[in-house]
Amino acid sequence: MEANQEQVQDRVKRGTIHEGPKNHIIAFVISIFLTLLAFMAVANTALDATFIKIFIVILAIFQAVIQLAFWMHMKDRGHFFQILFLATGTFVAITAFIMAIYWVWW
Amino acid sequence: MAHSVKKYRGLMDWITTVDHKKIGILYFAAGGLFFVIGGIEALLIRLQLMFPLGADGESWLLSGQTYNEIMTMHGTTMIFLAAMPLIFGLMNAVVPLQIGARDVAFPFLNSLGFWTFFFGGVLLNISWFTGTVPDIGWTAYAPLSGTEFSGTGSDYYAIGLQIAGIGTLVGGINFLVTIINMRAPGMTFMRMPLFTWTSFITSGIILFAFPALAVGLIYISFDRLFDANFFVTATGGNSVLWEHIFWIFGHPEVYILILPAFGAISEVLPTFARKRLFGYSSMVFATALIGFLSFMVWAHHMFTTGMGDIANALFGVATMLIAIPTGIKVFNWLFTIWGGKIRFTTAMLYATSFIPTFVMGGVTGVMLAIPPADFQFHDSYFVVAHFHYVIVGGIVLSLLAAVFYWWPKMFGRMLNETLGKWSFWLFFSGFHLTFFIQHFLGLWGMPRRVFTYLPNQGWDTANFVSTIGAFFMAAGVIVILINVIISIKGPKAPADPWDGRTLEWSIPSPSPEYNFKQLPLVRGLDAFWLEKMDGKKEMTPAEPLGPIHMPSPSILPFFMSLGLFIAGFGFMYRGYEFDSALINSLFGNDIIAILGLAITFVCMFLRSVYDDHGYHIEVEELQKEG
Repeated sequence: MEANQEQVQDRVKRGTIHEGPKNHIIAFVISIFLTLLAFMAVANTALDATFIKIFIVILAIFQAVIQLAFWMHMKDRGHFFQILFLATGTFVAITAFIMAIYWVWW
Repeated sequence: MAHSVKKYRGLMDWITTVDHKKIGILYFAAGGLFFVIGGIEALLIRLQLMFPLGADGESWLLSGQTYNEIMTMHGTTMIFLAAMPLIFGLMNAVVPLQIGARDVAFPFLNSLGFWTFFFGGVLLNISWFTGTVPDIGWTAYAPLSGTEFSGTGSDYYAIGLQIAGIGTLVGGINFLVTIINMRAPGMTFMRMPLFTWTSFITSGIILFAFPALAVGLIYISFDRLFDANFFVTATGGNSVLWEHIFWIFGHPEVYILILPAFGAISEVLPTFARKRLFGYSSMVFATALIGFLSFMVWAHHMFTTGMGDIANALFGVATMLIAIPTGIKVFNWLFTIWGGKIRFTTAMLYATSFIPTFVMGGVTGVMLAIPPADFQFHDSYFVVAHFHYVIVGGIVLSLLAAVFYWWPKMFGRMLNETLGKWSFWLFFSGFHLTFFIQHFLGLWGMPRRVFTYLPNQGWDTANFVSTIGAFFMAAGVIVILINVIISIKGPKAPADPWDGRTLEWSIPSPSPEYNFKQLPLVRGLDAFWLEKMDGKKEMTPAEPLGPIHMPSPSILPFFMSLGLFIAGFGFMYRGYEFDSALINSLFGNDIIAILGLAITFVCMFLRSVYDDHGYHIEVEELQKEG
C-alpha cells in the first residue's frame, strides 16, 4: 500500500499526519539560539540595562511565536480556533493590564 | 467487535453517568436544591428586615452575625451554586441536541465538571454544620476576608469556590470544543440556534474570567492558610488588589449568567410567536460584543474605591457602551414577537415578562454607570434593587421560561400549564413587589448589608411590603415544585410539543441516549422548521444507519472530586487547634490533605493508564427501538 506523494503532502498540510522531524529540529535550534542570545545579553556588562530589557523582551516574543507555531502546531491548518482563542485571551489580558496600570493607578 | 459494557442501575447509574442529558438533569437537581436553600436564606433576610429594631433594642429574629452569614451564603449560593449549575444544566440538556451531536466533546470531563461543582457546593454548605459560616459578603473583600477579621468561614468560601470553579472552567472548555467540533453536517456557525451561540460566547467568557477567580482565591487561601501577604497591607500587600481581581472575574461572571438567559429567550419567543428570530446576525454580533465588553468594565463596581476621576469616567463610559448591544437585543426580541401569532404558554409568559423587567434592571444599570450618581447610589438598596432586577428579573425569569420550554425534551413529561401560569403570576407579581420598592428604599437612604434599622425613618412600610412580596415569590416557587412533582405522573410529552424550530424537537422526548439515530442534514437556520415547511415530518439524514460509538460510564470523576473535597478540609483544618488532643493528632495536620490529593491523583493515574474505548450500539439494536 504505497501512498500517493501528493496525498501525503496534502495530509501534512491538513495536519492529519505528522510531517517529520525537520521543522522541529530547525525550531529547536532557533529556540536554543534565542535563549543563548538572551543569556549573553544579560551577562554582557558593557550593554545598557534598558537596552537589555527591551532586547530580551523582543527575544521572548520571537521565542513564544516559534514555540507556538512549531511545537504547538499553530502554523498547521485547522488551528484557526486555537489562534483565535489565544489572541482573544492575550488581548483581554493585555487590555486589562493596560487599563489597570494607566487608568486606575495613574 | 462489540464488547459488552457494564450497565449500572439506580444510584450508581447517576454517579457514573457521562451522558450529557443525565448530567444536565443532575445539574438541574443540584442547582434546584441550592436554589431552594438560597431562597430560604433570602426569606430569612426579608423576614429579619420586615420590622425595624424593637424599642428594647433587640433584633426580632436574627443577630447581626447570623444575618451576615445568611446574607453571604445567599449571594454566594445563588450565583455560584444555583444560577451557574442551572445554566450549565440547560446547556448540557440543549446544546448537543441543538447542534445535532450525539454527546459533548468530552463526556468524562462533563461528569468531572458536575462533580467538582457539586462537592464544592457541599463543602461551602457544610460550614452551616461546623458553626463557622462565611460572613464576608459574596465579594469577600480584603482585609475583611483576611485572618485578622474573619474565621474559618472564609476558608470555606475560598476552598469551596475554588473546587466549584474547577467544575465551571472544565464545563466551559468542554462546551467550546463541543460547539466548534461537533456540529451536524451543514450546521455552519451562522446556522446555529441562538441558545447555542450564547452558550458558546458564555463558555469563552468562562475560559477567560474563571482563571482570575481561581488566582484570587488562591491568593486568599495562601494569605489565610500559609501566612502569605497578598492582601495584607501591614506587610506590603494591597487589599484593593483583591477588589480588582474579584471584579475582573466578577463582572464577566454576570454576563456568563445572562447570555445563556438571552439565548433561551431568543429560542422561546420565535417558537411561540411563530416567526423566525428578528435580526439573527445582529443578535450574534451583539452577543459577541457583550462578551467582549464584559472584560472592559470591571472597575465600575469600584467607583468609590478612590481610583480617581479619569478612571471613573472611562469605566463609566465603557459601561454605558454595553447598553448598545443589549438594546439591539431588546429591540430584536420586540420585533420578533411583533405581528407574530402569539401563544401565551407558561414559557412565553415568562419570556415576554422578561423583556420589560430586564430593561428596568438595565436602565438602573446605566444610572449606576454614571460615577457622580453612583457615589449617591453606592451601597444603598438601589444597588440591591438593580442587581435583583437583572438577576432575578433577567436570569431567573428566562431560566424558568427555558425550564417550561425544554422540560418535555429533558424529562419526556409535560408540566401542567394551569399550575405553570399560577406560578408565573405569583412569582412575577411577588418579584416586582419585593424589589421595585427597594429602588426607593435606596433613594431614601437605606444602606445595603445592614441587619436592622431604626424605626420611623420612612423605611418601615416599604420594608414590610418588600417582605410580603418575597412570600409571593416563595409561593410561586412552591407551585413550581408541586408542578414538577405532579409531572412525574403527568402526560407523556410528544416529540415536538411546541411546534418547535430547532433540531432538538426533531427527536423523541426524552431523547434516546444516542440522541440522533442518524446525524441530521442541516439546510439552514431553524433547521427543523425548514423541513416542516417543506412538508417533511423529520430531518433528512446525513449518514447511513450505522453502529453508534458511545462512551463508557465511569466512577472516576466522582472520586476525583471527592478527593479534592477531602483535601479541601485537610487544608482548612491543618493548622486548626481542636479541643481534643486525639482529634488534633488526627485532623490538625497535613495527613487529610495528602490523603485527599492522593485519591484525586490515583484517579487521574487510573484514567491515564486504562484505555477505555467505549462501546457500540449496533444497528440491530437501533432498528429494534424503531
